[in-house]
Amino acid sequence: MEKVCVIGAGSTKYGKLQDSITDIAVQASVEAIENAGIEPKEIQAGYISNVFGIADKQVHLGPVIMSNLGISEVPSLSIESACGSGSVSFREAYANVAAGFYDAVLATGVEKVTHTGTEWTTTYFSYCSDFFYEGGAGASFPGLFASMARAYLAEFKATEEDLAMVAVKNHDNGFANPKAHLRKRITVDDVMKSAVVASPLKLYDCCPFSDGASAVILCSEKFAKEHTKNYIQVIGSGRGGSPAALQGREHITTIPSTKIAAQAAYKMAGVTPKDIDFAEVHDCFTIAELVDTEDLGFFEKGKAVDAVRQGMTKLNGAISINPSGGLKSKGHPIGATGIGQVVEVFDQLTGKAGERTVKDAKIGLTHNFGATGASCAVHIFKSV
Amino acid sequence: MQAAQYISSKVYNLSAKEEFVNSAKSGKILARKCTKCGYLHLVTTYFCQNCGNKGFENVLIEGKGTIVTYTIITVPPAGYEKYTPYAWVVIKLDGVDLQISGFMQNITSPSDLPLGAKTKVAGYDERGILIEKL
Repeated sequence: MEKVCVIGAGSTKYGKLQDSITDIAVQASVEAIENAGIEPKEIQAGYISNVFGIADKQVHLGPVIMSNLGISEVPSLSIESACGSGSVSFREAYANVAAGFYDAVLATGVEKVTHTGTEWTTTYFSYCSDFFYEGGAGASFPGLFASMARAYLAEFKATEEDLAMVAVKNHDNGFANPKAHLRKRITVDDVMKSAVVASPLKLYDCCPFSDGASAVILCSEKFAKEHTKNYIQVIGSGRGGSPAALQGREHITTIPSTKIAAQAAYKMAGVTPKDIDFAEVHDCFTIAELVDTEDLGFFEKGKAVDAVRQGMTKLNGAISINPSGGLKSKGHPIGATGIGQVVEVFDQLTGKAGERTVKDAKIGLTHNFGATGASCAVHIFKSV
Repeated sequence: MQAAQYISSKVYNLSAKEEFVNSAKSGKILARKCTKCGYLHLVTTYFCQNCGNKGFENVLIEGKGTIVTYTIITVPPAGYEKYTPYAWVVIKLDGVDLQISGFMQNITSPSDLPLGAKTKVAGYDERGILIEKL
């Protein structure tokens, strides 16, 4: 296998955007191409992650993006894996470069949904569940994660205030991120007083519905060395699956696909959880970050809550979790999120993260899943 | 998993989901039991998750169980506005290694439904699989 590197990254602001889905996807792609210092004609394939293109009247996004980049002849495809679409697409791009099919490819993730409103998004997002058993019985996504939360709080004697601390921490990080959707500091009290969406989760336990696009350029090590000194290397890539419905899981408070993907990624990279300096994890809801950081092996089962209480996951704590602000504050444009995490790792490991820089970071991890973790991808990167 | 828990076992001609829905309407959960290892699955499964075998026998399970976890939804997806608030619950069926989730009306506060509460499958309609307190 070829060694695979990321040599450029770009992202729109996340939030409520006015431009079309195509426009924002192209804006992020152009930024990634220029950041990499390559010509569009050097791109040999495009991997486009998106879930609800239909909401902005554009599916089959790949050829439209390629045409806008002046490379209409380049093959592309769209990948949908719910909220994990970006990392799953990144994995396919990675695998094709690693296999030697391509020297350089573009991976762009995009979502444009905020114009549809809360009812549309709540309803259409529920189609990402195992619908017959979950969405088709009234479960919303906040509801599914709220069910995980209730089980977790009972099993590990944690409180709703503990969950709130995750949101406060991620908003602190996102406050320093100029591209974050919810760029404001909040308090535990703000979270506790926010409206209940699906008990025990309240509005401030939930990430926002966001618009946004992120893009990265992946390439072989040889291509990277020929073009720039400003790149990072992908050292681990893992994927996994879980029973699609929560009812099929032996433990409601763990996500099997995360464990499977993480083990594969750690093994490929030849590292352990202790070697990870920072991680961008899938905190679609506060409870998810607790579950993720346990399933990724950073903390023992049930101990993530102690870590949060002790501030271990804050920026430049024992392990910085979600220095970008995570899905909670940075925002969650679902098709873009997994690529956006790679953008953050690229910025961190190439010294462009500004105020939210994780000091002396050498190894970063991304973790992104679809639905309640039915599909998952984990990637590990190192600076060069 | 004890065979005594199954109250009947026969093969239907309807589609798996139609059979499942009809069973839920009579308070039962239709499941598939692997003929090789005995592992239980919901009817929408076609190969055994445990051993990979394709052979199943249909079994009807009494739809009684205890609350594993749940949420009370106050911001519903379309179609559920008139039922809000309501609970979406996961229950573990009594005496077998199988969980089922569903819709539960008349739950407005966590005090209405402690974890471990006894419940039963009570039907199926536009809200999905219906669960009620025993």
